[in-house]
Order: sequence, then structure tokens, then C-alpha cells
Amino acid sequence: MNQPTNRILNLLAAGFLCLALGFWFNLFGRPAVPAEVPLVDLAFIATNTARLSAADLIRTGGDTSGLECYACHDKKQPLKLKFDAESNIVLPKEHEDIVMGHGGHKRNNNCFNCHDETNLELLQARDGRQIKLVDSTQLCGSCHGPTYRDWEAGVHGRTSGYWKRELGPIDRKGCTSCHNPHAPAFPGRAPAPAPHALHPAIAQPEKESAHAH
Amino acid sequence: MPTDTPPPAAPAPALSRRSFLRNSAVLASGIAAVAASLAPLRELTDITSMEQFLQKHYKELTPADMEQVLARITRDVEKQYQVRPHVADYKPMDGVEFVYCLNLTRCIGCRKCVHACVAENNQSRSPEIQYIRVLKMPHGSLDMEKGDHNYSPASVPEKGFFYMPVQCQQCKNPACVKVCPVKATWQEADGITVIDYDWCIGCRYCEAACPYFARRFNWTKPSIPKDRLNPNMSYLGNRPRRQGVMEKCHFCIQRTRQGRYPACLEVCPAGARKFGNVLDPNSEVAHILRTKRVFIQLKEEVGTSPRFFYYFDV
Ligand code: HEC
Ligand code: HEC
Ligand code: HEC
Ligand code: HEC
Repeated sequence: MNQPTNRILNLLAAGFLCLALGFWFNLFGRPAVPAEVPLVDLAFIATNTARLSAADLIRTGGDTSGLECYACHDKKQPLKLKFDAESNIVLPKEHEDIVMGHGGHKRNNNCFNCHDETNLELLQARDGRQIKLVDSTQLCGSCHGPTYRDWEAGVHGRTSGYWKRELGPIDRKGCTSCHNPHAPAFPGRAPAPAPHALHPAIAQPEKESAHAH
Repeated sequence: MPTDTPPPAAPAPALSRRSFLRNSAVLASGIAAVAASLAPLRELTDITSMEQFLQKHYKELTPADMEQVLARITRDVEKQYQVRPHVADYKPMDGVEFVYCLNLTRCIGCRKCVHACVAENNQSRSPEIQYIRVLKMPHGSLDMEKGDHNYSPASVPEKGFFYMPVQCQQCKNPACVKVCPVKATWQEADGITVIDYDWCIGCRYCEAACPYFARRFNWTKPSIPKDRLNPNMSYLGNRPRRQGVMEKCHFCIQRTRQGRYPACLEVCPAGARKFGNVLDPNSEVAHILRTKRVFIQLKEEVGTSPRFFYYFDV
């Protein structure tokens, strides 16, 4: 072996030796340990629906006092609805939790579109059928035909349990488990936390460019 | 006597002090370099057991072999988490092909599906591995590259946007399966593309091949708090993974092959998610494919033919 080759080999050997020592004693440091990601709130993995319907309240033993109309009303006294000059419904403080907003143009703020005038504890469908409060899905169906048919096929709303019906039961939620009958638009909610990136530095390009401006 | 024989060859040089020192220095640094390159081994905690190393490919395992494998996994899980799991190898059902339909008119972007999936399928919590990404998309666009998954307003849905959850699309023609050099991922009879975590070598080819960014790699040792471990496990599904292997959505094998709906569907407050056997004309998904009109198969042009359909209610 000639002189220059030897010198190069020696230099290489020395270089590797230094690197080796460096790695072994961890002089360059390990990759930064990513920050601990907090565990998600269990509310985000709960399978509850947006609200409890009358049927849900009864099933789960919740507060059903609001459903006993004749605890306050008089069965023999016909009820008169009160409207203000703009034809908004005027409600007493006993019913202040009810905010009517079913469809636009105050079209559906007549309580007796749905509740039975002769027996408050019942509902009345468009065809005059009397329906129990807990069977309100039938009532909704009398005005929302196409949605109701989707619901029957398991396409609108949620069906949980067993897709293979032979192996177990299903649970199909009624309309009022998701929609408040008096203001049925689906309410907004806080989303679960956004994903945490493995490398925090590149996690939020959006925010970074916002800083630059 | 005059002679014309050539002079004797120079004697082989004796090992000089100098070359001895030089050679041993080279040798020492060589050994040190090898040792140093093995330094990461000092951090290795879950070493593959001989039993696991010698295991055969999934498709060659006899029922008796599988029984032993499941017993080993049960032991390992119990040792690591002090929770006794129920591990099974659920097989596809006859006459079943799974399809997922997701109603984009309904989805409100709350991300509950993401976390129900993590809880059901024993994904690592820190660092975080999630199979579902919810993309916030401007109305009028269906280009998933335009989606933003970092949104966090006080309340969803936001005006002017819709939300598109993306997970494994369980393609009929999966690119990920084709690129796997060791056949650790394949498509089963019911349409689910599965991964054998004991066979995966972590090359990440499948991750690169997937047009939907649906595959996840365990860069570090997964961490799951004991009290959040789901003990109902399947071999090709949600049993705990090792560092260095791929994972992804498998339609909750441990639930769906037992006839149940997947976890992401069960948790959806809006009822946007529909799942079932498309070969059964009475299933929700068959009904949707028959009666709803506007369908999107993501990136249809790449030819993967997803079993995951997006639609709008009209
Ligand atoms: C806590 C007592 C209480 C209960 C329970 C109750 N109400 Fe009332 N409700 C009132 C009072 C007070 C009024 C106002 C006085 C009135 O007009 O008689 C009222 C008024 C109404 C009105 C007329 C609204 C208007 O324009 O003023 C309707 C309709 C009505 N109630 C329906 C019901 C129905 C249906 C139930 C059962 C599901 C029910 N209420 C249960 C106390 C109650
Ligand atoms: C679109 C149909 C509809 C209209 C209009 C309607 N309701 Fe109701 N209401 C229902 C249904 C359905 C339930 C049962 C709710 C459930 O399952 O959660 C109900 C429940 C109630 C209850 C008992 C539970 C509660 O929310 O406190 C009261 C009181 C009540 N309605 C009062 C009224 C009054 C007063 C009006 C008129 C201002 C009115 N409703 C208009 C459908 C209607
Ligand atoms: C008397 C007929 C009638 C009944 C009964 C009825 N709805 Fe409606 N609903 C309407 C009308 C009218 C609209 C407005 C439609 C529109 O504006 O296009 C509406 C709109 C809606 C909307 C859309 C959101 C909104 O506020 O515009 C939802 C959700 C809804 N209804 C749910 C229900 C549910 C759940 C029930 C049963 C508790 C029900 N409806 C019963 C007539 C009815
Ligand atoms: C699992 C929850 C759930 C159930 C159960 C449910 N809905 Fe809905 N519904 C929704 C959501 C979410 C929307 C989208 C609402 C929005 O964007 O504001 C919706 C929208 C609607 C609309 C508005 C029109 C449309 O299609 O966007 C109507 C009408 C409606 N639902 C009626 C019903 C009726 C009738 C039932 C019962 C037969 C029912 N819903 C059951 C969640 C549900």
C-alpha cells in the first residue's frame, strides 16, 4: 500500500472512531421526545344522541315531570293559544324552555299542529290519528314523508346494534332523540381536538403563515 | 560462479511496530463503529420472541397453530397491560361483502368517529395514531387535497363548509396490497384489506402507495393506558401492535365479523355513517346505492375502486 492510501485510511479510521464514541456516549442527543398527548375526554367516545326524547327520558328514568301536562293544566278547560302582534307564540314561564323554530316563516308555531287539543298528553298527526308522546316519530312522519321513509329503511338517523339481524338486536333512534320537535334544526357542538402531529414544528402550517403576515 | 538468476525476492516485511499499531487502531475503531451502530439496541424493549420469529405466514397456519399464536398474544398482552384479553381470529362470513356509505349532507365534523375508533381499535394514544382524518372542505369542492384537518372552531358545523371523514377505503383493487414485498397485507373474501402485524417488516411501501393516506406507521412503541385497552381483540384487527409495523382501518373486524356495526358508526351523533352487506338487498347500504343518486368514490380516476361511498342527500 502506498503512502497516500495509508494516510486516507488512517484519517477514515480516526473519523469513525470519533463518530463511534460520539454515538456511544450520546453526544449528539437522541431525537426530541414528542410532547405527551393528553387523553381525549370520554364524552367524545360516548354513543349518546344529541338529546333525550320523551321515550329516552322514561327509559332511562330521567325527569319526566314536564310530560305530565295535567299536573298543571285542567282537563276540562280548553286551552287558548296566545300570539303577539307579529304572530309569535307567547309562552308562560312554565314553558320558557320551549323556543319555537320549526321551519321558517313561523309556519309551524301552532302548538296544536302537533299536540292534541282535546288531550294534551297526546299528539295528533295530520290525518287526525292520536299518537302517544313517546311515539312521536309517527307524527313527524305524517309531515316529513320522504325523510320518514328513509328512516324506516335505516338511512336517515342512526341504527345501531347488529347489521346482521339474525345475530342480535338493533336500536333505531326516534326523530326526537336527535331533533328537538320545537326547534328541530340539528344544533352545533364543540368538535373533539384536532390531531396532534408527531413533529410539532410542522403541525400547524396554517398558523405559521398567519404569523408571517 | 557467474550466475544470472535474479536476486531473491525481498523477504516479506516483518510485522513492524508501526504497522501493528496502525492495524490495531483500524480494527479497534471498526469494532467500536459496529458497537456504536448497535447502540439503539440499548433502547429496545419488546424483542421478538423466538416463537413469534418462527411463526408461519397467516395463510399457512393450521387451526392448531393459530390456537398457539392466540395463546401467545394473550400472554403477551396480559404481561404488558395486566388485562386479560379475549383474542380470536374471526373469519369472513359467507355471502358477505362489506360496503360503507357516508352521507356528506349529514356529517357535522365533530370528530367523535376518530376517537371512538381509537378507543375500539387500541391505537397508540401518545404519540397519536388515528385511522380517520376529518377534512374540512369548502362547499363546491371535492378535491381532498384542499381539505384542512386542523380545524378547531368553538362550534361545528361552520357555514360554507362540509366535512369529509377519510379512512381506509377497502378498495377492490388495492394499491397497498400490490406493493407489499412480503405479503403481509391482503384482501379477504368479505372485502376487508387486512395486515398481519407479525409478518409486516415496516418498509412503508403500502403507506406510499395508498392514494388516501389511510395507512399509519408505528414510529415509536405504541402507548395505551391500561384502563383504556379494549380487551375484545382480533388477530387481524385491534390486538396491540409493535413499534415498526403498519396499521389502518379494518372495518372493526372484531365487531363486524360478529354481525355488529363498526364503532365509528355507533358513535356518530348525526347518523351520517352507514355500513352493511351490499350483497343483501335489504341492507341499508344496498338501499342507499339503489335509491340515492350522487355518489363519489374518492379519486375514482386512480382505479382503486373503493368500497367506501360518499353521497349527498338531495
Ligand atoms: C309546570 C306546569 C305545566 C306543565 C307540566 C305543562 N304546562 Fe302547559 N302551560 C302551563 C301554564 C302555566 C300555561 C299558561 C297558562 C294557560 O294558558 O293556561 C301553559 C300553557 C300551555 C299552552 C298554551 C301556550 C300559550 O300560547 O300560552 C300549551 C299548548 C301547553 N301549555 C301545552 C302543554 C303540554 C302539551 C304539556 C304536557 C306535555 C304541558 N303544557 C305541561 C303550565 C304547564
Ligand atoms: C312539530 C310538532 C310540535 C309542535 C308544533 C309543538 N310540539 Fe310540543 N312536543 C312535540 C313532541 C313530538 C313532543 C315530545 C317530545 C320528545 O319526544 O322529546 C313535544 C313535547 C312537548 C312538551 C313536553 C316536553 C318538553 O319539551 O317540555 C311540552 C310542554 C310541549 N311539547 C309544549 C308545546 C307547546 C307549548 C307548543 C306550542 C308553542 C308545542 N309544544 C308545539 C311536538 C310539537
Ligand atoms: C305539521 C307538519 C309537521 C310536523 C308534524 C313536523 N314537521 Fe318538521 N317541518 C315542517 C315544516 C313545514 C318544515 C319547514 C320545511 C321548509 O322550510 O322547507 C319543517 C322542517 C323540519 C326540519 C328542518 C329544520 C328546520 O327547522 O327547517 C326538521 C329537522 C324537522 N322539520 C324535523 C321534524 C321532526 C323531528 C318532527 C317530529 C317531532 C317534525 N319535524 C314534525 C312541518 C312539520
Ligand atoms: C341520529 C340522529 C337523527 C335522527 C334519529 C333523525 N335525524 Fe333528521 N337529521 C339529522 C341531522 C344530523 C340532520 C342534518 C341537519 C342539519 O344539517 O341541520 C337532519 C336533517 C333532517 C331534516 C332536514 C332536511 C334534510 O334532509 O336535511 C329533516 C326534515 C329531518 N332531519 C327529519 C327527521 C325525521 C322526520 C326523523 C325521524 C323519522 C329524523 N329526522 C331522525 C339527524 C337525525
